[in-house]
Amino acid sequence: MRYGEALRINAQPALEGSRKRDIHLVCGFTPLHFETYLQAHLNLHFPGDEICVHTGLFNDLEGNLRRACETGSDGIVLAIEWSDLDARLGLRASAGWAARTLDDILAQVEEKTKRLEALLAAPGRATPVALIAPALALPPLVNLPPGQCSPFELQLRATLATFVSRVCGLSGVRIVSDHALAASSPPPARANPKLDLSAGFPYTLPHADAAAALCVPCLFPAESAKGIITDLDDTLWKGILGDAGSEGVTWSLEGKSQAHALYQQLLASLAGSGVLVAVASKNDPALVREAFARPDILLQPSQVFPVEAGWGAKSASVARILKAWNIGADAVVFVDDSPMELAEVKEKHPQVECLRFTPDDPAAILELLYRLRSRFGKSEVREEDRLRLASLRASAALEEAHSSEAPADFLAGLDARLTLEFANVAGDGRALELVNKTNQFNLNGRRFTELEWESYFRQPGAFAITVSYEDRFGPLGRIAVLAGRLAAERMPEESGPAVQCQVDVWVMSCRAFSRHIEFQVLKRLYEKLGAGNIEFAFETTPRNGPIEAFFGRMVTAGRPRQGLELPAADFERTCPPLFHQVIEKWTTSEKNLRSAFP
Amino acid sequence: MDNVREKLTQCFSLAFPKIDPGRFPEARVENLSEWDSLAHVRLLTLIGEEFAVDVDREKFESATSFQELAGHLVEEGPAA
Repeated sequence: MRYGEALRINAQPALEGSRKRDIHLVCGFTPLHFETYLQAHLNLHFPGDEICVHTGLFNDLEGNLRRACETGSDGIVLAIEWSDLDARLGLRASAGWAARTLDDILAQVEEKTKRLEALLAAPGRATPVALIAPALALPPLVNLPPGQCSPFELQLRATLATFVSRVCGLSGVRIVSDHALAASSPPPARANPKLDLSAGFPYTLPHADAAAALCVPCLFPAESAKGIITDLDDTLWKGILGDAGSEGVTWSLEGKSQAHALYQQLLASLAGSGVLVAVASKNDPALVREAFARPDILLQPSQVFPVEAGWGAKSASVARILKAWNIGADAVVFVDDSPMELAEVKEKHPQVECLRFTPDDPAAILELLYRLRSRFGKSEVREEDRLRLASLRASAALEEAHSSEAPADFLAGLDARLTLEFANVAGDGRALELVNKTNQFNLNGRRFTELEWESYFRQPGAFAITVSYEDRFGPLGRIAVLAGRLAAERMPEESGPAVQCQVDVWVMSCRAFSRHIEFQVLKRLYEKLGAGNIEFAFETTPRNGPIEAFFGRMVTAGRPRQGLELPAADFERTCPPLFHQVIEKWTTSEKNLRSAFP
Repeated sequence: MDNVREKLTQCFSLAFPKIDPGRFPEARVENLSEWDSLAHVRLLTLIGEEFAVDVDREKFESATSFQELAGHLVEEGPAA
């Protein structure tokens, strides 16, 4: 991005009523062009929002980080340079590069990284951090022939690597990839010694642009895709199954089909991290089962659901897979070697991303694998991600069984166990993740940053119920979150009339539909509060039809309206028989949440 | 000359977005409090980009007014 373009982007006024986002740029150098580019890339990432980039004092990385952590914001970009770890590693110091100085530098860097780690590990920090490690070359401190690495530099880099790998494990700390940075900003083109000496800004414009561009998605990752649908012949393996038979198709170096092995390996790895993998192939289903039964297959049949093998149009297979997965087409990638099949699917499902597998071009295959990794990339893989496929299989089994039994009998025989975890703290990231990615059963579509979610629970009487579910078809994991506020005057241990309650957030994963979980959650809430009614911050959104339909059963006239107030009597009138075994758990901080519930 | 002054005004507008563009032709380091050393770096970066000239030279770095910068850019010839 040209510098002038960045300034023009930053000069655009925020839209009226837009959201304000405060970002701390923490560095020890003069922020100058890096600040400009960071703001521009944030503006592009959050169009129309008001972006405020806050900077700190020159040459005080540690103090700036401490203040940013204490202040709290939507995100921290922590840009470290060698001179921040020891001034003698920068161009602006002249304390000598004698051997004994180098030993002292190593000791200082180790101490400095420990102090930075302590700041990042402080329990009060809720703000996510994107850390960009030193990107500039070290000055010529050591006398060695060209091309030879010194023990000093290796020790220095080892200390840095230890620090970065340790903080990478801290909650909310994400490290900007060296590899990605090198691809967009080659190391020899990063330093601007003249500007470093004259203004304390060490980077060239292209490097400042590239580094800022990478920090933004690292801090605010885009929602990753959820499912991949793959073709089989000449895609998952080399050869045509119908011609070669299940033993004739290959995926190996010996079979000159290693590209297919790499692809299978990637799909298996994605499936292991919760990505849904399905097959859409024009093939004989029995032959497909035979091929997947081969012991050398790298993508296990248990990792694939559903397998659509037949002779109909691929677009129809894709439609059935989308229905089985119950996810939006925009979260799905389709891979096939045939341009015609790709075009046919794209025409019927324009939101599906269609990518071509080119078996004879290893470079293109490698590029495809990187692209898939990036499209499905997640900062964190949770237990629920790993359970997703099992729960989809369970849902399919449940639906199949459902069709042959009376609903009440069927639900009674599910042996369903519901765990309600009451809390007045934000908890781990799963609840927030669920709130931010659920569209259909979502009270109002409201999204939260990590800081906003933490702040929500600092309000008087704020609480959350996180719901986990399991039945004879298997566990679904944590599938629903309800957050609300109890009347403050009832906190903490007072007795008295029924508790007033406002529900601000209520989401449930579509994987958990048809089990009456939503009724059980409300039933428990009414019982616990002894309330005559509960207020819901309900708002219609383009995609929350299921929750509107749920409330629609209870409102006596018209459609559910914004700011719905639901009397207990109306709920009880429509509540079906419930058969869940309910377990309650409590997590509280300094406030005694349990005592607030009768 | 007019073209140079127009482009230079655009550079000033981006470097000093809160200042009325009508003030730029008479702008000097002494009468524009926002024109500090960092703003000067930003301004020269923009000029370098917009005019495709090497601003890492003494005459640009030491320039202290709109008029002076415009004069140097005219000297650079048609490329500017």
